Amino acid sequence: MMMNNNRGKPRKSLARRTADSIGHHIVEVLENEEIAAEKGFLQGIDPRSKLGAILIFSVTASVVRSPWLLAAMSILALVLASFSAVDPASFARKLWGSAGLFATLLALPAATQFITPGPVLFQLGPVAITQPGALGAVTLILRVVASAGFALLIVWTMRWTDLLSALSQMKVPDIIVATLAMAQKQIVSLMRTVEQIHLARESRTLGKGTTAENRRWVTERIAFVLQKSVKTADDVYDAMLARGYSGSMRVLHRTSATVRDRSYVALSAGIAVLFIGIDRMVMR
Amino acid sequence: MHIPDGYLGPQTYMVLDVVMIPIWAVAASKVKKSLKARQIPLMALAAGFAFIIMMFNVPVIGGSTGHAVGATLIAILLGPWAATISVSIALTIQALLFGDGGITALGANCFNMAVVMPFVGYYLYRLVVGKSGKINRKIAASGVASYVAIVVAAIVAGVEFGIQPLIAHTASGAPLYAPYPLKVAVTAMFTEHLLFFGPVEAIVTMGVVAALAKQESALLAMKPASKSLRWVWAGFAALVLLTPIGVLAQGTAWGEWGVNQFASQLKLSVPVGLEKLSAFWTAAIPAYAPAFIRNPFVGYLFSAIVGASLCIVVVWGMGKLISSRKIDDDEQ
Repeated sequence: MMMNNNRGKPRKSLARRTADSIGHHIVEVLENEEIAAEKGFLQGIDPRSKLGAILIFSVTASVVRSPWLLAAMSILALVLASFSAVDPASFARKLWGSAGLFATLLALPAATQFITPGPVLFQLGPVAITQPGALGAVTLILRVVASAGFALLIVWTMRWTDLLSALSQMKVPDIIVATLAMAQKQIVSLMRTVEQIHLARESRTLGKGTTAENRRWVTERIAFVLQKSVKTADDVYDAMLARGYSGSMRVLHRTSATVRDRSYVALSAGIAVLFIGIDRMVMR
Repeated sequence: MHIPDGYLGPQTYMVLDVVMIPIWAVAASKVKKSLKARQIPLMALAAGFAFIIMMFNVPVIGGSTGHAVGATLIAILLGPWAATISVSIALTIQALLFGDGGITALGANCFNMAVVMPFVGYYLYRLVVGKSGKINRKIAASGVASYVAIVVAAIVAGVEFGIQPLIAHTASGAPLYAPYPLKVAVTAMFTEHLLFFGPVEAIVTMGVVAALAKQESALLAMKPASKSLRWVWAGFAALVLLTPIGVLAQGTAWGEWGVNQFASQLKLSVPVGLEKLSAFWTAAIPAYAPAFIRNPFVGYLFSAIVGASLCIVVVWGMGKLISSRKIDDDEQ
C-alpha cells in the first residue's frame, strides 16, 4: 500500500498534476488549430509570406532600442491579432500572463542601484531605483512582450500543416520537414499515452506514494515511453514502405503567393525599416 | 533553460543561428549514414520522446517537482548526432507550436540543449564507463554525465545572458537585453542547475538506464559518435575564415578587455589580483594583432588560425584518449 505523506491542505497527486498539464497541452494544440482555421486577416495570407513577415517583425523587435517604439510594436502585434479572429483580451492576457509577467519579475531587481548604477529616480527604503535601471527594465519587458506577441501570432494563426508546406516550399530539406511532420503527430499520440498512464495510476492508487516510489515509477514510465517510441518508429517505417515510400516527401497543397501576399511582406519590410530608421535617427 | 525572444541581442542570437546551420547539416548527414532508411521515423519518434521527457513531473525533495531535458539520455541511447537532431526538433516544435522558447533564440536554445548537453554528456559517459561493461558503472556514469552536461549547458546559457549588458547598452548604461552582468547571470544559472535541475536530470537519466538494463538492455548498446569528422573540420575551417568579421565589430568584445578597460567596461574597480596577474603574463599575440603583421584583417585571420590549431591539437588529443578506451557492450 502506498503511503500518504500529505499533511497540509489537500494537493493534487503527482500523477494527477502531470496528467492535467499534459491534457492542457493537448487542448492547447486543438485550440490553436481552431483559431488557425478561422477566417481572419493573417489566416488569409500565404504561409510563406506570413512566416517571412512575422520573422521580419521579430528581428525588428530585437533591434529597436526605444521603449516607445517597442510599445508601438506590441500594439501592432495586438492589432494584427484582432484582425485575425483572435480575441484581443485573451491575446493580451496570454502575452502578459506569461512572457510579460516573467520578464517583469526578472527585470525588477535589475532596476536597482545594486545591478545598474546611475542617478537615482526614486528611493524605496534601502533600495534605490536608478534612471538607467528603470529604462533597462522597461525596455526588456516591452521587448519581450513585443517579440512574444509576434511569436504567438505564428502559433495562433497558422495550421501546422500549412507551416510545414511553407517550410517545404522555402526549400528546407525534405528530411527535416518530414521529421517535423511526423514528430508533431507522434508527440500528440505520445502525450495521450502518457496522460492515460498517469490517469490509470491516479485511479488505481489510494495515496500519493513516497518521493522515492514516485521517482522510480516516473523513470520507469519514461523508459516505457522510450521502448514504445522505438517500436512505433519501426511500425511507422513498415507502414511507409507498404504505402510506397520512396525516400522523398510530397507536399499535397502547394500555395502560390498573390499580389496581396507580396504586398503584405513589402509593407512589413517597410514598417520594419521605418521603425529602425526612427529608432536610429530620431530617438538617439 | 529555454531562452525566450528579447533576452538576447542580434549580435548573440544571429551568430548562434548561423553556427547551428552547419551543425544541423553534419548531424543530418551522420544520422542518415548510421541509421539508413529508417532514420526519419526514428528521428521523429526520438524528437517526440525528447519533447515528452520535458513534460514528466519528477518528484524531488520536500514535495517539489522538476522536469528533465533528457539530452544526455538520448545521446547515450541514439548517439550524440541523433540527439542533436531530436532535441533540435523538439525545441523547434516547442517554439512554433507552444511558443515555449524564442523564435530568434532558437539557434541559441539548440546550441545549449541540443549540442553542448548531448556532446558533453555522451563523451563524459564514455569516459566514465571506460572498459567496464558492468551495468552499475553505466548507471553511475549516466548520472555523472547528465549532471555535468546540464550544468555546463547552463553555464553556456549564463554566458550568453551575461554578455548582453557588455555588448549592448545605451549611453546612460541602461541594458538593452538581459540585464544582469556576467558574474550574476553565470552564478544564477550555475547554482540553480547545480542544486536543482542537475539532480533531476541525473535522477531521470539513471532511472531510465536502470529500467532499460532490466527490460531491454539492447537499447543501451553504445551508439557511435562518428568515424569521419570531415564535415566538422569543414565547418571549423569556415568559422576560422569568418573570424575577420570580428575586425568589423565595434568596441571591445566580452572577455577581451585589458586592465585599463576593465574599469570602464564593468564599471568596477580593478581587482588587485587581476592587476598583478596582468603584469605577470603577456600574451604571445596581444589583442589578436601580431606585431609583425601590419594589416589588422590578416593579423586577425592569422591569430584565428593559430588559436584554432591549438584547439584542434587539444581536441584531437582528447579524442585519442577517449577512443583508446574500447567500450565493452556486454551486459553483466
